Amino acid sequence: MAEHGVVTPSVKTAGATSATTTGKALSVVALRKTYGDVVAVDEASMEIAAGEFVTFLGASGSGKTTTLMMIAGFCEPDSGTITVGDRDVTRLAPQKRNLGFVFQQYLLFPHMTVQENVAFPLTLRGVPKNEIRKRVGETLEIAGLSGFGGRKPRELSGGQQQRVALCRALVYRPPVILMDEPLGALDKKLRDQLQVEIKTIQQELGLTVIYVTHDQEEALVLSDRIAVMRNGLIEQFDTPRELFERPKTPFVADFLGAANFLPGRIEQHTDEHTLVRLDGSGGLLKARRHDLASGTAVKAAVQPGRLRACAPDDGFCTGTVEVATYVGTLVRAGVRIDGGDAPLLRLEVPAGRGPVTGERVGISADPEDVNLFPTEQDG
Amino acid sequence: MMELRSTLAGRIVLTAVATMILLFLALPIVVILVTSFSDNAFAAFPPDTWTLNWYKALFADGSKWPAALSLSALVAALSTVFSLIIGVTAATALVRSELPLRSAVFALVLGPLVIPQIVTALGLFLLFEPAAMLGSPIAIALGHTVLAAPIAVLILIATLRGIDERLEDAAASMGAGRLTIARRITFPLAAPGMIAAAIFSFITSFDEFYISQFLSSVDTVTLPVQVYNSLTFEIDPSVTAISAILIAFAILALGLVALVRWLGSGRQGSLLSVENTAGVANPGGETV
Amino acid sequence: MAATLTATAPAPPRKLLASRRTRVGILYALPVVVYLLVLFVYPIFSTLFLSLKDTDGALTLHWYADALTGVNLSVLFTTLRISAETAVLSLVFGFVLANAISRLKPLWAGVAMLIVVVPHFISALVRTYGWIIMLGDKGLVNETMAWAPGAPFQLLYNELGVVIGTTSMMLPYTVLLLYGVMRGVDRRLLAAAASMGAGRVTIFRRIYLPLVAPGLASAGLLSFILSLGYYITPALMGGPNQTMIATLINQQVMKENQWNGAAAQGVILLLITFAGLLLVKLVTSLGASRRKRSAS
Repeated sequence: MAEHGVVTPSVKTAGATSATTTGKALSVVALRKTYGDVVAVDEASMEIAAGEFVTFLGASGSGKTTTLMMIAGFCEPDSGTITVGDRDVTRLAPQKRNLGFVFQQYLLFPHMTVQENVAFPLTLRGVPKNEIRKRVGETLEIAGLSGFGGRKPRELSGGQQQRVALCRALVYRPPVILMDEPLGALDKKLRDQLQVEIKTIQQELGLTVIYVTHDQEEALVLSDRIAVMRNGLIEQFDTPRELFERPKTPFVADFLGAANFLPGRIEQHTDEHTLVRLDGSGGLLKARRHDLASGTAVKAAVQPGRLRACAPDDGFCTGTVEVATYVGTLVRAGVRIDGGDAPLLRLEVPAGRGPVTGERVGISADPEDVNLFPTEQDG
Repeated sequence: MMELRSTLAGRIVLTAVATMILLFLALPIVVILVTSFSDNAFAAFPPDTWTLNWYKALFADGSKWPAALSLSALVAALSTVFSLIIGVTAATALVRSELPLRSAVFALVLGPLVIPQIVTALGLFLLFEPAAMLGSPIAIALGHTVLAAPIAVLILIATLRGIDERLEDAAASMGAGRLTIARRITFPLAAPGMIAAAIFSFITSFDEFYISQFLSSVDTVTLPVQVYNSLTFEIDPSVTAISAILIAFAILALGLVALVRWLGSGRQGSLLSVENTAGVANPGGETV
Repeated sequence: MAATLTATAPAPPRKLLASRRTRVGILYALPVVVYLLVLFVYPIFSTLFLSLKDTDGALTLHWYADALTGVNLSVLFTTLRISAETAVLSLVFGFVLANAISRLKPLWAGVAMLIVVVPHFISALVRTYGWIIMLGDKGLVNETMAWAPGAPFQLLYNELGVVIGTTSMMLPYTVLLLYGVMRGVDRRLLAAAASMGAGRVTIFRRIYLPLVAPGLASAGLLSFILSLGYYITPALMGGPNQTMIATLINQQVMKENQWNGAAAQGVILLLITFAGLLLVKLVTSLGASRRKRSAS
C-alpha cells in the first residue's frame, strides 16, 4: 500500500462495526430542505446502524451541515422523516430528541467548571448526585481529563475544551452523537491526535456517531461509512474503501482521490477487462470490466498514487517529466504525455527511485485501479 | 508594532497639556471633597481649618436633606425596577428574535438619550400636571424611567450580544427545556450585565434634575432639586457635604460596576484597563 | 410548547418557526414601545400641539413669532453662540487629550481614562458647584493667580464662567468618541507615509487628520447638540446675558405659567437638535463610505 503512496485508512476496521451492531440507530427518509429557491438538501435518505461511525463529507454549501442540523432539530425539514431508534423525531424540539451534539466552537458553558459542564446533561435527567459524580469522573478519565474537573473552560487549551465538549455529549449515553466539524478550529497536529482519540473512544464505547467535515483525510481516518455530498445531494454513501476504489461518480473520484481524468473511447471488452483507446496519445488503457457499450466516450479516472512509472513505451502511454517535487516519502511528478495537449498527468511515486525532471517515462496502471465514467457530453 | 516615534520635546509638551486638561476635569471634584471638610465652606481654598460640621448639619433637626435623600432613593429604586423590566424584555426582543420594524424600535429607544432633556421634562410636565400627579414619587419615577430605561436597554443589548446564542442550542441539544436554559445558562451569564444595568439606571434617576424639577412640588423635592435650590435661593453651607457624599456615591457605584465586569469577564485583563474604564462609560457599546 | 405547536400544525414548519420568533419579539418589544409611546412620544406631540394652540383653542403661530422676536430671539442666539463655543473648545481639548491617551502605556491610559469617565457620572450640579467654588474671587484659580496684574479676575457670572463649565461637562463625551476614532486609525499608515519621506506636519495634515475628520465632525456636532438644551451650568455660572433657551422654558413654566410659549421654544430646540442629528448622520455615513472606498 505504501508503494502506491496513498494514505489508507488503517484505523478503519470492519470488526468494530459488526461487533456492536444491534440494529438501526437512526434513519432519514427523503429529507428535503430549501431556502427560497436554493435547495440545501435534496431527498436525502440513509440508514445508520448502531455503533456505526458515519461522516457527511462535502465542501461548504454541500448540505452536510444542514442535514446534521435537521437531525439535531435546530432546523426543520420541508419534508421527509427522521427516526431515532423507533421514534419519529422529525417535528420534535431539539431538547426532546435525546441526541448528543458536539459543536465546532466547543460551546462549553463559561460560568461552569469542567465538572459542572459535563454534569449538566445528567442533572437535567435527574440522575442522583453520587451517580453523577461517578459518571462524570469516569467520562473525564476516558478523555484523559481527570485532573481538570475543577477548572473553568477558559483555563483549558482548545484541544482540552473540545475533549470536555465530547465528554459532555457522551456522558448521558445518547443513542446517537452528532459532531459538527468538531476539530475545525484546531491545528493540524492536534487534529490528528484527537481524530485517533475520538475513534478509539467511539469504538470502546460502541457509540453511534454522525460526523460532519470537509476534510477528506479526516473522513477516511474516522469513518465506517462516508456520505459524500454535493449541491444538497448524497453522491455516494459507502465505506471509505469503496469510495476510494470504486467511486460511482467522477466527482467522488476527484474529491476523494484527486484522480487524473483521461478522455477516451471504449474499444472492446474481454472477460475481465474493458479496453479504452485514449484520445490524444492513442494509447490503449486496460480497465477492470465495465458494462458500457463499445464506442462510448468515457473518462478514465486513475488516482496519482495508483499510476506507476515504467520504461518508455512499456505502459499505456509515454511522456516527459516536466516537474518533479520531493515531498518527504513521495515524489510528485507532472508528466507531459506525447501527442495531444492534455493537462499534465499527476503521478505520486515512492521517493528514492522517483523520476527526475526531463526524464522520458512510460505510464502504467493496474486495471483494478482504473474507473470509467461515460462522458456526459450528450446530457 | 511599527509606529512613529515622537520627539522628547513633543512628548513633554503633550504630557503637560494632557495633564492640564485632566486637572480641568478632576479639580472641581477634588475641590468639593476638600472644601466639605473646611471650616469656611465658601470659596477659600485650600481651607485653613478642618471640620465635620457640614456633615453633622445634614442630619440636624429641621434639615431638608434627609427627606430629599430618601425621596431620591425611593424614586431611583422604583425607576431601577421599571428600567430592568423594560430593559430585559426590550433587549431580548432586539437581540434574540425576529422583530418587524426593529430599527424603528431601536431609534425609539435611543430617542430620550439624544433629545434635550428639558423638552422631555416639559412634555412629562404637560402629561402629569392635568392628572394632578405633580409631586408624586411614582410620577417622578415614571419620568426618570424614560431616561434610565434606554440606558438599561443598551447595556443589556450588549450583554445579550456577548452571550453566544449557540450556548443555548448546546444546552437544548442535551435536553434542557426553555426554562432550564434561561435559569441555568442565560441568566447566570447575563447577571453581570443586569447588575450594571441596575446600577446605571439607579445613578441616572438619582442624579436626574430636569424632570425632577418639573414634576416636583413644594413637599416632594428630590436631592438634585434641593441642591439646585440651595445653590440659587438659600445659602446652605451643608450643600458641600451633600455634594461630597454624591461624589463618593458615584465613585462607589462605578467601582462596583467595574468589579462586576471584571469578575464577569473571568478576571481577564486588569481592573484598570482602558477597555474596562471606557466600557464603563459607554456600556451599551453603541454610538449615537 | 414549540414542539406541540409544530407537531400539530399542518402548515409549512419553517414559516411557523419564523412566526414564533416574530411573535416572541413583538411580545417582548411591547413594554418598551408602549412605555416610550405614552411617556415620551405622546408628551412631545402634546407639546407640539400646545405650541400651535391659541388661548382660545384656535390654531396659531404666534407663540413661534414670540419665540423668534425680541429678547427671546437674542436668547436663542446666545444659546447657539455658547453651544458653538463649547463645542469648539471641548473638541480641541478632547482631541489633544484623546490623542495623548491613545499614545500612553496601557496602565497610564487606564488611569487617564478613569479621570475622564468618573466625572461623567457625577451629577452635573455637583461639578458646577465645584467650579463655582474654584472660580470665585477667593477660589483656587484666583488664589494661584494672585501675582498676576488685574487679579482677582472675574471668572463667574459671565460668559467665560459658563463656557468653562459647559466645556468641562461635554469633554468626557468628546474624549471618549475621539479616543474610539483614534484607536481605529492604523498607525502603520503614518509610518508608511514617513517611509515615503513625509514630515511630521505633512503626515498629520494629509494622513491623520483626513482619517479622523468624520469622527471630529460628529463629536463636535454632538457636543453642540447636547449643549443646546443645557440649563444647570448657564443658570448657576452665568449672568443675565448668558440666559439660554432651557432657562427661558423653565422660567415660563415655573414662574409665568406660560406653557404655550414654553412649548414653542421646546419645539424650536427640538428642531435644531434634529437638524444637528441629521448632520451627524450625514457625516458618519460619509465617513463610512470613505472607509469603504479606501478598503476596496
